[in-house]
Amino acid sequence: MARAVRSGTRVDTVLLVACCVMALLATVLPLNLREAIAGGLRRTVVAPLVSLQEQAVRGRSAFLSRDATTSRLDSIALRNMQLAKLETENERLRGLLGLGRELQWGFVSAEALRIADIGEEHSRTLTVGSRVGVEPKTPVVAPEGLVGMVRTVDPNSSIAILWSHSDFAASAMSADRSAYGIVYPHLSESGRDAEIPPERYLMEMRGVAFRSALKPGTLIVTSGLGGVYPAGIPIGTVLGELRTSEGWARTYLVRPAVRPPDVSNVIVLLPKRIQGQSLERVWRSATSADSAARHIAAAGDSIARRAAADSVRAAEAAAARRGADSVSGQPVQPAATKPAAADTARRPKGRADTTRPAPRKPDAPRPGAQR
Amino acid sequence: MSWTRSARAVLAFSLLVLLHYTIRPFLGWRTPVDFLVIAVLLSAVRVRPGAAALIGFCTGLVADSLTPSAFGSGALAMTAVGAAASWLKAVFFADNVVLHGFFFFVGKWAFDIVYVTAERRMHGVELATQILLWSPLSAAATAVAGVVLLLMLRPVLEPQAA
Repeated sequence: MARAVRSGTRVDTVLLVACCVMALLATVLPLNLREAIAGGLRRTVVAPLVSLQEQAVRGRSAFLSRDATTSRLDSIALRNMQLAKLETENERLRGLLGLGRELQWGFVSAEALRIADIGEEHSRTLTVGSRVGVEPKTPVVAPEGLVGMVRTVDPNSSIAILWSHSDFAASAMSADRSAYGIVYPHLSESGRDAEIPPERYLMEMRGVAFRSALKPGTLIVTSGLGGVYPAGIPIGTVLGELRTSEGWARTYLVRPAVRPPDVSNVIVLLPKRIQGQSLERVWRSATSADSAARHIAAAGDSIARRAAADSVRAAEAAAARRGADSVSGQPVQPAATKPAAADTARRPKGRADTTRPAPRKPDAPRPGAQR
Repeated sequence: MSWTRSARAVLAFSLLVLLHYTIRPFLGWRTPVDFLVIAVLLSAVRVRPGAAALIGFCTGLVADSLTPSAFGSGALAMTAVGAAASWLKAVFFADNVVLHGFFFFVGKWAFDIVYVTAERRMHGVELATQILLWSPLSAAATAVAGVVLLLMLRPVLEPQAA
């Protein structure tokens, strides 16, 4: 028993001494030899542990950078939100420029500032006043259509009421002049008819002759009667008929062209510009020029871009001609009756490098049509 | 030691080695918990001093493979700590948590002293700061973690007799 214990102790001592000697030898080995042994261990036995350690270190870095990453994401999201707002504003300003180009003269552009007072949500302060020719009852418009009317004027600013104001009224007609009426704000927040969805900002077109039935989607514009608003400014589109107690006239619910919350930059039409002149073509041309400009931006191929640029040039030339005509007092020829557009006339016929089909003649058979 | 107890001890040892290479780098403390020292100490009290020295040497060599500049220092320190713990195992038999914590503390501090001395990289104030400030703090963290782990692993390491 005692011998066994002694033998065990001797083995322990030998092992301990051997381990210590090997460890000491390891400390004094040449660096390249130490690196070779350590590398061999790292590539074999310790490899899984090294991998675990790397993942843990990576996890720690990710954990520590969590807050920074979150704040970075937040700022990117915030910037994206601002970008969307800037894009919308840019689009509106571009529309305003297009409208200004079509109007050519007799207007001033202004910023419409929201009035913070309670009950004044249907009014805006405009940054132009009597010094630039603004007068009371001057129409205020946007690229989309009618915004409202100037009510009071100061030298450098003025206050305009929006169409949603309870005092607003405008003589209106359908775009095809088949129905006339007066447009008021729809002061009830919900449609009286069950078929019409409740909506905050709507208009009513009252006093339409009973024989004049308007279909939903019909464009309503100013009629020019009354002398305040010139004819042809878009007001909105018909949503449906409202049931009223009046048996001799119809009332229609109209979706406005301009939403009051979107009003930020506007154009004020000066009195000399609105005297007896229809602005119908202005909005039609502004819409076509704007869509052509969008076409340029969206065009992927150079041919389409060139064709779109030609359309814009043609639209601008037509507008310039109209301006010259109106100055000289000559009747304006509608754009629709002008000869074929330059872009279609200029297009080379049967080019081999284009994938766009050639313009079809009216009497030519439709491709794929059965004979 | 029966096969079951040996298997349980190996399992606990492996778990602690895993913790050393996962939790420790993840926490990244200035005074890190040394799970390898805890593993060697817990193994050493269950085997003879020679085997404990061998376990310590192998464990130290594995740790040294990641620090080639101090290659051998960890093996030497672990060998010394393992052998000493095995010879002093009688103390560990006392079922006292504070005493266990004290021995984890002493084991880690002794390991650090042997390690930095054998490494011969630090001198003067830096060496003194390491041995008298950072090593005791690291040893304290190791002692706390060792006691917690010992309490958690007790069902594995010391199963009750049927």
